[in-house]
Amino acid sequence: MTVIDELHAMRDEALAAIEQAGDLAALDDVRVKFLGKKGSLTQILRGLGALPADERPAVGKVSNEVRAALEAAIDARNSELSAVALDARIAAEAVDVTLPGRAHPVGTRHLIERITAEISEIFIGLGYRIAEGPEVELDYYNFTALNTPPDHPARSLADTFYVKDLSGDVAAVTGESDVLLRTHTSPVQVRTMEREQPPIYVLAPGKVYRRDIPDPSHLPQFTQVEGLVVDEGITFGDLKGTLEHFVCEMFGADRRTRFRPHFFPFTEPSAEVDVSCGICGGVGCRFCKGTGWLEILGCGMVDPNVFGFVGIDTERYTGFAFGMGVERIAALKYNIPDLRMLLEGDMRFLRQF
Amino acid sequence: MLVSLKWLNEFIDVDLPTEELVDRLDLTGTAVESVKKLGEAMEGIVVGQIVEKNRHPDADKLWVTVVDVGFDEFRSIVCGAQNFEAGDKVPVALPGATLPGGITIKKTKLRGVTSEGMNCSAAELGLAGDSSGLLILPEDAPVGMPFAEYHGSADTVLELEITPNRPDCLSMLGVAREIGAILDRPYRTPGAVPSETGAPAADEVRVAIDDPDLCPRYTARLIRGVKVGPSPEWLVERITASGARPVNNVVDITNYVLFELGQPLHAFDAATLGRDGDGKIAISVRRASAGEKLTTLDGVERALTESDLVIADPKGAVALAGVMGGADTEVSDETVDVLLESAAFASASTSRTSRSLGLISEASMRFERGVDRTGNVTASDEAAALIAQIAGGEVAPGVVDAYPVPYESVTRELRMARLNAVLGTTISPEEATAILKRLGAEVEGGPHLLSVTPPSFRPDLEREIDLVEEVVRVWGMERVPSTLPAGRGRIGGLTPEQRWRERAGESLRACGLNETMTYAFVDPADHERIGHALEEGEVLVELLNPMSAEQAVMRRSLLPGLLRSVSFNQRRGVENVHLYEIGSVFQTTDGRKQPKEHTRITGVLAGAWHPAAWNAPAVPLDIFDGKGVLENLARELGVERLGVREAARPWLQPGRSAEVVIGKNVIGWLGEVYAPVLETFDAQGPVTAFELDMAALAREARGVRELTDVPRHPAVELDVAIVVDEDVTALRIEQSMRSAGGKLLDNVRLFDVYRGKGVPEGRKSMAYALSYRAPDRTLTAEEVEGVHAKLVRKVTSAVGGELRG
Repeated sequence: MTVIDELHAMRDEALAAIEQAGDLAALDDVRVKFLGKKGSLTQILRGLGALPADERPAVGKVSNEVRAALEAAIDARNSELSAVALDARIAAEAVDVTLPGRAHPVGTRHLIERITAEISEIFIGLGYRIAEGPEVELDYYNFTALNTPPDHPARSLADTFYVKDLSGDVAAVTGESDVLLRTHTSPVQVRTMEREQPPIYVLAPGKVYRRDIPDPSHLPQFTQVEGLVVDEGITFGDLKGTLEHFVCEMFGADRRTRFRPHFFPFTEPSAEVDVSCGICGGVGCRFCKGTGWLEILGCGMVDPNVFGFVGIDTERYTGFAFGMGVERIAALKYNIPDLRMLLEGDMRFLRQF
Repeated sequence: MLVSLKWLNEFIDVDLPTEELVDRLDLTGTAVESVKKLGEAMEGIVVGQIVEKNRHPDADKLWVTVVDVGFDEFRSIVCGAQNFEAGDKVPVALPGATLPGGITIKKTKLRGVTSEGMNCSAAELGLAGDSSGLLILPEDAPVGMPFAEYHGSADTVLELEITPNRPDCLSMLGVAREIGAILDRPYRTPGAVPSETGAPAADEVRVAIDDPDLCPRYTARLIRGVKVGPSPEWLVERITASGARPVNNVVDITNYVLFELGQPLHAFDAATLGRDGDGKIAISVRRASAGEKLTTLDGVERALTESDLVIADPKGAVALAGVMGGADTEVSDETVDVLLESAAFASASTSRTSRSLGLISEASMRFERGVDRTGNVTASDEAAALIAQIAGGEVAPGVVDAYPVPYESVTRELRMARLNAVLGTTISPEEATAILKRLGAEVEGGPHLLSVTPPSFRPDLEREIDLVEEVVRVWGMERVPSTLPAGRGRIGGLTPEQRWRERAGESLRACGLNETMTYAFVDPADHERIGHALEEGEVLVELLNPMSAEQAVMRRSLLPGLLRSVSFNQRRGVENVHLYEIGSVFQTTDGRKQPKEHTRITGVLAGAWHPAAWNAPAVPLDIFDGKGVLENLARELGVERLGVREAARPWLQPGRSAEVVIGKNVIGWLGEVYAPVLETFDAQGPVTAFELDMAALAREARGVRELTDVPRHPAVELDVAIVVDEDVTALRIEQSMRSAGGKLLDNVRLFDVYRGKGVPEGRKSMAYALSYRAPDRTLTAEEVEGVHAKLVRKVTSAVGGELRG
């Protein structure tokens, strides 16, 4: 058998083995066996030196052809087997995409804080800053400087929580005190006007306290947002326009507002503001007790006496103030059946917002 | 204020539909809180005629009647009354009717006989009169007519919210006046004058006012020989509709006039009042002496102070001026002569007395808002005439009238330019004048300046702005054009601290915590429960009038409230609880007036982040979840130096308790809540919690960050496990590694802490992945190995550890 015959025999054997290789590892074994450093082709070519010189080119040529043929066959088989392997892997890795995703629970904002932030955003958009003040207040800021002197009849309406006065001062009325839990965030108005000169455009959100027994529609601790504007040329019309803008932003552009004259010691003229009922559209239903209107806030032009307490010139400046209960808005917007849920910390309630 | 429209119609013709009247009142400042149709309470009660009256077969005292209830309907009704005969007309309650007492009539059987309704007595219908038998109606009563209609008791009662500045509206006359003004139509003023007989009142009564500042006017009338007894039906009806309970004719008349004219009156039994040496009843109006006692009409003995004003006779106080009468001098069935008081007391002192004693009455409510003293005598006359008419007394001639401070009207100026500048309107002087005149004011001048003299019943119209308010209220707020402020000097936004607070909340929510809110007033025992001792000189911020003993002090920490919420959830089967609250805590010391307030940011974690899922087991939360949350928070706020170090807190489990620091400054704490503390809150552990001071956090927060280059050359990562004693902290090992590794040590990651086989008791194996990197070149293996070997040598010797083989 000539060397060329040997080469051809080996080629045929190798091609058969390549064809038979069942996976990529077997194919690699075949490659090593025939084309590797110690493989058959190398073995055969090792005998090349013993051949006469004139035969060598022919053998060399054949051996190159065999190598090329085998390499091509291996590449082809490799592609085939790779495709099979990939298909197998894909088949094995398929999942049921309807399985639930991996949980990354994100926390929620408390409804009252969410609404407070929403209100703040509306007024920041109108150029207001956010002002804050203490929750345990002095009588002066909560009442007196808001034109509610100690014997004012509005005092007995306020259901105030009084705090023990440790300074030794004694209140004029038994059971009352100079120190109290603020009944509204209006004292922030006074503190702001003491500190700053007009123009003043501030919003004061915060906790307030009134002695109400907790029930589905009352809490002794709730949240109020109070607004104050003091500038030259501020009119009652400006107050109306501002609050109408607020109502549309907060409740929707289709809601109407109504101003009803009212009384607050620290504003004159004063009004209560109703928004048209969102359920019946103002015709009257159970939700609005048949009136078609829902009361949402109180407001008015800053009383000149209040300016007197903080030394603002009442002839040069006018202003308006308004206040609203955030829990009330929450109850109206989200139909909260029982306000007490807001203070329980029930995860099942909190996680709905 | 309850207003019967039937009664109101005696003062003013109100012919518009109730809905329209309600709207007009609402839009002019008198809020209508409810509308009650009184006839409705009588629904199902009709005029019936008894056509047969037979003995009950099984009961001696019962009758079986057949009653014609109109429209050819006949009912069999069992009846226990004895005062009727067949042919009588009586009120009949049909099945379904509800009596004023709340009883609903049903078809029923009485001793075996079916009864289809009830024949009613006056008392059963809530009417005055004899309750011992059926109410026999006149013969001409039309059978089948609704009883309310027949009786005329159909009425509409409006509940009005009268604001504190409008005392003048606390009466039927006042409301009529107000409606007259807003509808621009006339009203009628009542004013009966009694016929007088006998010796003049002044012969028997004298009045002295010691303190005219507190009592500008006091009038007394004497009515002799009254017969005290029940009031007639119309009177009972009127005062009941106004919200008072009938007492007796004399007292009921004083209440009637109170509701009618707004003037509180008081009737004394003249025989019980002390007299001077000359035999005259001597009334004095004076401040109480300290320690003076008076038993008021409600039977309570009150200790008075010098700030209380009393009506006194020579023996002592007989009434709390303007608030409540005394029990010893009240009108009773034996009363013969009545002394009738009609006075004006200062609002401030009435308000103070009524609040101090917790006594709020119809009278005190009116006096503290202000009573028009020019009406004292009119009211006294009206009441005296009614007493004479109803209780049969003789009115002594004259009114004993002490009037040291006569009313003087004051004229105020209203600048039309100012009015329109405040309102943003173009109201004409003619419109303003017309409105003010309708409200009872005298108006002169114009067109730029109006001189306005308000009526005596409007003490609230003190200033120009009050007149502006009156004009816009009646002119119509809805007509004021809406604008936005034109001012230019405003910039909206949050302060830095407010912004950081928002960011802190966002960061906690991103970590999975849910925001909540708890009560700021807590149980005084809460701080003992968590072992949160008062600091030197600190005292609790106590409420004087808490809702309950469990909510009597202001909180010093948000933890107790949040532990309550943990328990609330757990008791309802919610095991995974992740809550945070941002709120105020309060701190004070003896001698301090206003407490200090600090904003705290507090979180609690219990259970796992999520329940076990097919691809994620439920991992119980512990202190390191809390620490992870704080690390994220610190990153978000740019507080790079935030760290924790071991420190005890009484409410935290020893060994799982740390304080949170920024540099050397302690700003809060972190740990797992101590089991005995959890028990007192009925909560199940473990509960991880933290509390930080928001201001301290905001002070250190940084919005600006420095950019460092993203690494361009690869890192070489080498692992090392070092066995150390238990008390060697992770912080110490890491610090030692960083100092030994120098600039080339890029990152230290602890990936395992192992105790057990192969590691001696009392020691632990800490396994780290250390990555080495140079910013400017790729490190060679030799270079890294050299640094690493040196690091291992230095660290093992520094922390007393050895390389784990």
